[in-house]
Amino acid sequence: MAMALFCLILLFKSTPSDFTTDVHKHTHKGDKGYCSENDWLESFTVIRRLINNGFHRELVSHVQCAAAVPEGSQVLLLEKLPQGVYVDPYQLTSAQEHSDTQVLLASEIDLEAPAYLSSGFSALVYASLDPQCSWCFTTTLPVHARYHRPAGSGEAEQRVSIESPRLLVRAEESTLPLACPQNKVTEAPCTAQNHSLCVWLEIHYQQELEAVSLQIPVGDQRQVLAVCTGTLSVTLLCCCMILGAVWKHGHFQL
Amino acid sequence: MAAYLTTDWTSAFLKKRILFSTAFLIRIVLVFYGVYQDKTMLVKYTDIDYHVFTDASRFITQGSSPYKRATYRYTPLLAWILIPNIYLTALFGKLLFVICDVISAYLMYSILHFRGMGNDKACRYCALWLLNPLPIAVSSRGNAESVLVVLVVATLYYMENRSLVKAAVCYGLSVHMKIYPVTYALPIALSLQTLKDPETEALGNKASSLLSKRIQKFFSRLLNKDLLVFAVIAGGTFFALSLIFYSMYGWEFLEHTYLYHLTRRDIRHNFSAYFYMLYLTAESEWSLALGLAAFLPQLLLLLITSFAYYKDLAFCCFLHTAIFVSFNKVCTSQYFLWYLCLLPLVLPSLTLSLKQGLGLLFLWFAGQALWLAPAYYLEFEGQNTFLLIWLAGLFFLFINSLVLVRIISHYKQRRDPQKTKSG
Repeated sequence: MAMALFCLILLFKSTPSDFTTDVHKHTHKGDKGYCSENDWLESFTVIRRLINNGFHRELVSHVQCAAAVPEGSQVLLLEKLPQGVYVDPYQLTSAQEHSDTQVLLASEIDLEAPAYLSSGFSALVYASLDPQCSWCFTTTLPVHARYHRPAGSGEAEQRVSIESPRLLVRAEESTLPLACPQNKVTEAPCTAQNHSLCVWLEIHYQQELEAVSLQIPVGDQRQVLAVCTGTLSVTLLCCCMILGAVWKHGHFQL
Repeated sequence: MAAYLTTDWTSAFLKKRILFSTAFLIRIVLVFYGVYQDKTMLVKYTDIDYHVFTDASRFITQGSSPYKRATYRYTPLLAWILIPNIYLTALFGKLLFVICDVISAYLMYSILHFRGMGNDKACRYCALWLLNPLPIAVSSRGNAESVLVVLVVATLYYMENRSLVKAAVCYGLSVHMKIYPVTYALPIALSLQTLKDPETEALGNKASSLLSKRIQKFFSRLLNKDLLVFAVIAGGTFFALSLIFYSMYGWEFLEHTYLYHLTRRDIRHNFSAYFYMLYLTAESEWSLALGLAAFLPQLLLLLITSFAYYKDLAFCCFLHTAIFVSFNKVCTSQYFLWYLCLLPLVLPSLTLSLKQGLGLLFLWFAGQALWLAPAYYLEFEGQNTFLLIWLAGLFFLFINSLVLVRIISHYKQRRDPQKTKSG
């Protein structure tokens, strides 16, 4: 197994913006038998849910393995979040003290910009074995919706879809068939503290449902004339009210 | 408006020492309760702003700029003052804000006392600030508004006493910390003008009553020693601080402390009547013109109230800030404190009955509640309540204007026996 590792060659790096690096490897004919024994790697299912309503949600990812998972395994979800949502790094820092989910953000996030002035970003969500169920990992990522452009054709809401994450697994090196041809190996930070890089195995999993999405209320662009007229009329009225009162009761001495 | 509390235990309670100590104690208890709530419950007591200040102070202790902390949009002075948060205790800032809160009340008491009000009566008006849950919550949760309140009230106090140098320093500091006190410049300047001498005035009237001549005389009254001293010291304080921080932090300092607030176009929902209009026109070419159109009522009202009420600076500043906040493009509940802190100084001059006053207060709260309901459904339930929020915002502006009109029409200019002729 160590020999196999030595044969790993870095041919090219994937985009540096998400911390991961895909790794190409040589195949070894002698490992074929070993490569077909790892059924547990084929039996991952990921269930995703968005809980809460409104602009502040929680993205719950439940990673379930049908077979026994080796001791000390770690799971990493590579999330690619769209421009319509954002994650608050300060909220994450304070939440990390209470929860098992550790998150590493690949880039700076503007917390206040609207969706049309923002871009998508990557987040690395680390999870450990959930003691409440057998061989499963649960992560909770608080996401917040951005303000979207007002709708021109009267839709009350805009749909923001969050695509399925890439699932990476790490365990004791002897238990992972890193050199097998069908397996994709990636380098990524070992933990959310980003002190060192580790080798992770990418898993293809079954997804129960289609990608999660949230509906965000948006303004109605068709009302712009009425809103502008109404707003300016009321402010003019209120301005005149106060002007009138000051003119009548004020003590002017020029 | 006079409060008719005549029972024995309430008047004993409102004795200065007991009142101030109780107010201080309540705030301290809440600060410590906040520590408990933050540790045990999901909903935190401490305001998010307090964490922003502390993080910014931490960056300073590490030798870098406080603006590395996202959403830190204040003067570096605040982060510098809160450095003991990192070295001493995380509660230092909250204790400082609480102390500033109580000092503001003491300054209010001193102003009322200086105007000739008795101890007990002055205490009753100060109780409106000391025992008011809003400032208590705001300062114990870690908002820095009380620092600004103490600076503004101190400016008014020193202006009453005619200690112009101290007033100017406090004023310069307050404008440095938040931009809105800059609107007080005109009323302060008008209040520092040379008082008209009746003899020369009569002569002048005989000579010419042309408007241009009167304007000329007005400007010559304005340019006197007092005003120059105030302008130089206040301006000097402001520019000195700006220069120091600009040399330390560069363009970031100007951008976050001043420019952000001047050009702020928050299209997210807030109390402002302009919110929905600005959200819908955020990307259109009309955006700039509309922004300007929104600015004009504010400007006009501020100008006219300055000329009408500069003789009573506290009332003038109260009107200024209430108008500024109500007609602003962005309005959050934090801004309300900016004019509520001047209410204890304004109320003695109002001829509103207790019933009328409470009615106006109820109306003001009702306006907020009518906005908060659809806003909650938008943010936390995801319902499209934009139209309702817009209408509630307009209604809230109307209520605010109504309350201001009532206050203006029930204002009685007090006769000030202490003011002597100068010049």
